[in-house]
Amino acid sequence: MIEEPYRWLEAVANRREYVQDQIKSGTPVFAVSLSAGIALIGVGSGDSKVFELFDRHALAGLGHPADLEKIRQALIDAAHTEAFTRAPEDVSLRRLVGFGVSPQLKNNFEQIFNAPYLVELVLAELGANAGEDSLVRLHYDGSYQIYNSGVVAVVPASESEAEAQRWLNEQVSGSTDVRSVVDLSLQAWWCLSQGHAFDDAIPSQEERQAGWRSLTEQRTVEIGWLARDSQRHACYAGLTLSDLGL
Amino acid sequence: MSELPNIPGDFLSLLANQRLTPLKLESLESAPVETQATTVFALQFDGGVLMAGDRRATAGNNIVTETVDKVLEVDAISLLGIAGVPATAFEMARVLQSSFEYYRRSQLQQLSLSAKVRSLARLLRENMPMTMQGVGVVTPIFAGLEGARGARSSQPQIYFYDPLGAQFHAVSYAASGSGSNTIRSILSYQQRFGNPRPDTMEMKRAVQFALRLLNIAAEFDSATGGVNPETNHHATIKILDENGVKSVTPEQQAECYNL
Repeated sequence: MIEEPYRWLEAVANRREYVQDQIKSGTPVFAVSLSAGIALIGVGSGDSKVFELFDRHALAGLGHPADLEKIRQALIDAAHTEAFTRAPEDVSLRRLVGFGVSPQLKNNFEQIFNAPYLVELVLAELGANAGEDSLVRLHYDGSYQIYNSGVVAVVPASESEAEAQRWLNEQVSGSTDVRSVVDLSLQAWWCLSQGHAFDDAIPSQEERQAGWRSLTEQRTVEIGWLARDSQRHACYAGLTLSDLGL
Repeated sequence: MSELPNIPGDFLSLLANQRLTPLKLESLESAPVETQATTVFALQFDGGVLMAGDRRATAGNNIVTETVDKVLEVDAISLLGIAGVPATAFEMARVLQSSFEYYRRSQLQQLSLSAKVRSLARLLRENMPMTMQGVGVVTPIFAGLEGARGARSSQPQIYFYDPLGAQFHAVSYAASGSGSNTIRSILSYQQRFGNPRPDTMEMKRAVQFALRLLNIAAEFDSATGGVNPETNHHATIKILDENGVKSVTPEQQAECYNL
């Protein structure tokens, strides 16, 4: 099957199609950089979407739970080993992704006889101030984009992801309030879940808010918060809707 | 280290997989005079556990520094007070910090208090060759809150150790280091006959009591540094209550000192 270049390309394309098909029912997650910290938001079953990685690092993702778990463990192992052998300040997201998990994902994706990772992720690193934050959008094939501010959305369909990210960036722009950012992210989550486009026909704010409340009744809204003013080394805290008054 | 089984969530197993070995110190015949950290103690008060330590480190007759922190926050619900050789003690604290946080993050739950207490005992046992040679002796105290799911107790507990790793649960107080005999005597008297007893003191009174204890220990032990807010000599004091660890700042100490 892979003796000829064309066959190999075809196999990789088939694999891409297979991965996209497998994760298309995944529920979106978001990461937002604010002046007070970074919020990561997802809707799942509790400890299923948003995770702490290290002192200033966190992860949110969608896809197969077993694959998400493998990547989470690999990142935690790498971060703690780095911090122990050097120092916690030396743990950097750019290195964790660029030299750690991204090449592994790429390798795995192109080894067509191995099972591919069925994941889409966003990773966050808290900086000393908002402009120094890193939000890395990491894909199942190892490719990634780095952002230093704003919102990063992770949605199974790339067109919807771009739309949701643009809409959320417009809505969140200038906001410093975690509560309103979480509310907006959940509104975007509801629109994506219901197939609403982010154009002039988008439902009203009241409808969006009522929508996410109703749809999350039997689920857990997972909110990770990396607080910039934390007095502890570990800046991560898991928040609930009631913590935010939502 | 290489003989350790690969236990999920165990930081020492991770280090072994990476061929990294903490606490591997070699002693020499002509070993230099070792630096020692001196007095730490913990007591139950009305609001939880208070752990305090002076800030002096000595090497023989020399005072090496007056700014050592011997009471360390291992994680959000655990405190470690170190007495003995700082080189080994700080490394133990670092291993524990990494271990507890690694377990919590990877397993998505807190390590139980019993396991934390045993982790420190295990490090002390691994340090036994150094202890038996008379160098690298560490006798820590530990305070922790049960963080495991379904835990029965929400009260912070105090533990103390011998240099070989035996662990003991302290009901009211524990002390370690060269000034600890003085402190233990006073605490024993105060707990039995005092009014108020330490375990009924409110926080400010307990902090004042701790500062006075350190000053009395410093009178009898040259390796224990005293406390005097006017000359900027403070202690390290941390509180562990049902909400976790809090530090008592030098300003708060000065306020309590002058109550």
